Amino acid sequence: MPVARLHDFRWYLWGPALLVAVGVLVPLSYLVLRAFQGDAGELADLVLRRRNLRLLGNTLGLTAGVLLLTSAIAFPLAWLVARTDIKGKPFVTLLGVLPLAVPGYVMAYALMASTGPSGLLSGLHLPRPSGYAGAWLALGLYTFPYLFLNLRAALLGLDPALEDAAQSLGYSNREVARRVVLPQLRPAFFAGGLLIALHVLGDFGVVSLMRFETFSYAIYLQYAAAFDRVYAAWLALMLLSLTGVMLLLEMRLLRGRRYERTGSGSARTTSMSPLGRWTAPAYGFVGLVGMAGVALPVSTVVYWLGRGVEHGRWSDLLSAFLDSCSAALPAAVLATALALPVAYLSVRKPSWPARAAERIAYLGYATPPLAFALALIFFTLRSAPFLYQSLGLLIAAYALHFMAEAIGPVRSALYQAPVRIQEAARNLGRSPLRAFFEGTFPLLRGSLGAGMALVFLSALKELPITFLLSPLGFRSLAMGVWGAASESLFSVAAPYALVLMATSTALVGLLLRKA
Amino acid sequence: MRCLIAVLAMFLVLPFAACTSDSGGSGGDGDPLVIYSGRKSVLVDPLVEQFTEATGIAVEVRSGSDAELVAALQEEGDASPADLYWANTAGALGVAGEAGLFSQLPDSILSKPDGYVPSSGLWVPVTVRFRVMAYDPGRVTPEFLPASVMDLPDNDAFRGQIGWTPTYSSFQDFITAMREIHGEEATRNWIEGMKALEPKAYPSNTPMLEAMMAGEIMVGLTNHYYVLRVVHGGDDDLRDDPTVATHHFGAGDTGNLALVTGAGLLNTSTQTEKALAFLSFLLSEDAQSFAAETVREYPVVRAATVPDYLLPFDEAVALGPEFDFDRLRNLEGTLDLLREKGLL
Repeated sequence: MPVARLHDFRWYLWGPALLVAVGVLVPLSYLVLRAFQGDAGELADLVLRRRNLRLLGNTLGLTAGVLLLTSAIAFPLAWLVARTDIKGKPFVTLLGVLPLAVPGYVMAYALMASTGPSGLLSGLHLPRPSGYAGAWLALGLYTFPYLFLNLRAALLGLDPALEDAAQSLGYSNREVARRVVLPQLRPAFFAGGLLIALHVLGDFGVVSLMRFETFSYAIYLQYAAAFDRVYAAWLALMLLSLTGVMLLLEMRLLRGRRYERTGSGSARTTSMSPLGRWTAPAYGFVGLVGMAGVALPVSTVVYWLGRGVEHGRWSDLLSAFLDSCSAALPAAVLATALALPVAYLSVRKPSWPARAAERIAYLGYATPPLAFALALIFFTLRSAPFLYQSLGLLIAAYALHFMAEAIGPVRSALYQAPVRIQEAARNLGRSPLRAFFEGTFPLLRGSLGAGMALVFLSALKELPITFLLSPLGFRSLAMGVWGAASESLFSVAAPYALVLMATSTALVGLLLRKA
Repeated sequence: MRCLIAVLAMFLVLPFAACTSDSGGSGGDGDPLVIYSGRKSVLVDPLVEQFTEATGIAVEVRSGSDAELVAALQEEGDASPADLYWANTAGALGVAGEAGLFSQLPDSILSKPDGYVPSSGLWVPVTVRFRVMAYDPGRVTPEFLPASVMDLPDNDAFRGQIGWTPTYSSFQDFITAMREIHGEEATRNWIEGMKALEPKAYPSNTPMLEAMMAGEIMVGLTNHYYVLRVVHGGDDDLRDDPTVATHHFGAGDTGNLALVTGAGLLNTSTQTEKALAFLSFLLSEDAQSFAAETVREYPVVRAATVPDYLLPFDEAVALGPEFDFDRLRNLEGTLDLLREKGLL
């Protein structure tokens, strides 16, 4: 039976997909509305500026650079964890995820504070990173986990029987890796790489601190310095069309591929290759990644903690922790719950509306958060004013904005999960929903956990949406860090940053134990 | 898995429980006063608490950057729940005024500050910050420092010993003011002259002052409160034997540019009385003295007592150049100039 015919129209699949489409497209329509507010002559002037071309070049250059850097970190690290006998795998895995717990602007501060003539590492005479190099390094160091998590999950889910078959056909180890394993990693690489690319496109915390002019930095400057919502909307739309091109590209590259096991029986566990003479370089590599991605920002924050007498109050810290969790946790659950049907439709029922729903989720991720928040203000007040500045709206905004992060892992797992089990359950008379929950869902648990962890970490660090949509009096940990650090009151900011990173670590550890 | 779900569920329920118990305990009568604040919460919270303690009026504060809040207020339009907008920059107040967000303030409020009141009467100044030159008193005698920032490039003795922060917003405001007061050409020459002295660029003010304490530079262009925060926020030794000191340029010099913070009453306010009471409180002697003491910014009320490390009120008012703050909005030209000179 063809896969696509397994389900007819099901509300529990299309309902969430429709919700996502509306939730993301509505903010986009706001941008279009704002963009066409100026008069025609002025609009042409805004769009055809020479400056926009430079922004485009900078943005593309940074995206490509960060993709290369993150691949160089994530591929070897994922391989070490999934395929070799390296010791302390849970710890190495955690090192590969924890940089996500560091807010981007803290990473940028850490790089700037530790280098240069008066930095923590002044003995090493490192130049102070700024501009392209600074943004490249800071973004690469804290976004590589997106790729690492996706690749690791894919490597762990591979059926070694394929490689055995290739080997029995006379392929060398290297050829097996190139012709069998790498192609299998394609969906994971695209999912992770896409997230990183979109993240770089949308980031302004890092690029503004490093003063590297990309689209998002220009958008930020338009709002911050010129208070110009029209030009900002144009820049955002240009950024989104760039995103659209990337999304189409990724879709073309993945079309019509199937990656699931088709053999009978269950997959054998993969044997781990011994590191051998690669032992020292492998541990050295892990150590370097851990130092740069985790130890550097953590020691910077600890250094902040020790250098002033002004500290915040414990009660403020506790309430910030509770506020943060009260929004980020439900958002993580909601985003994953929305991502599951959307990813399921796009993998198992690949019609154009299914693919469109998934692409739209990515578009939401790439919408600059400030514009996203302004759009939600605009529409909530006009359609459902009672929702405005409620915790529910904040949670929904986080979930809609970040759900793309949950789609990647779920989609990769769905590609690998055999359809046959679910079909067998159907043949045994289970309803479609029950067949899914008994046949496929157990295979997705790890990926759902990973997706939830990613959304949680992002929501915990988020600033512009939190500032504008949170209930009055809501103070998240990230707001505490930013509010004090940007006034140079680093000793006040430090406890918030530490609690933020500790919370992230705890939850990620919990969720990944099962993955 | 079951254990995981249990932990998640606990996390989900706890905060909601905490929220509901919070909202039951708020004091005061009626709805709380809602303030949108572009100032950081560390600078706002202590004053808000004092106000609530003194009047029993509950206050809710929404924090954000000036840009975010002005954009949000414009999107909210008539439906905004906010009563007051308290901004970090005069630029944001100017934009909010032009966009028609503010109501005219009564004379009872506008007459309170002894300076910096805008002619529009749409907002009222609350505190003032000044651009200053920080110097290392162990290596520089104050008599040796220039009376005008425009003469700084002539001081060859400072070659390689000057710190500045070209990427920082208040430095850029200062350059914008220079362009407006002295013209493009003079500003360009100033930047070129400074560059010839091989200044060291820092990402922000605190690292620059730390570099000064470490002996890396002798002088640096900064805002007055950063010096005070380093000297008076740190340990006692530093206070008794400071390694960083403040130099003000001559009265009216561009190098002393005043950066005003202020607040305005929003059209959408349903609680005008409470809002005016809050503005009135901010401009009271007590609150102004308290702000000077804790936030280390200058008061706008002559009667406020200031710590001995701040200048007396009249001297401070005479410091800054005569300048219309709305002209600080022309930032784009400044960024272009800094980029052209390779500083951004």
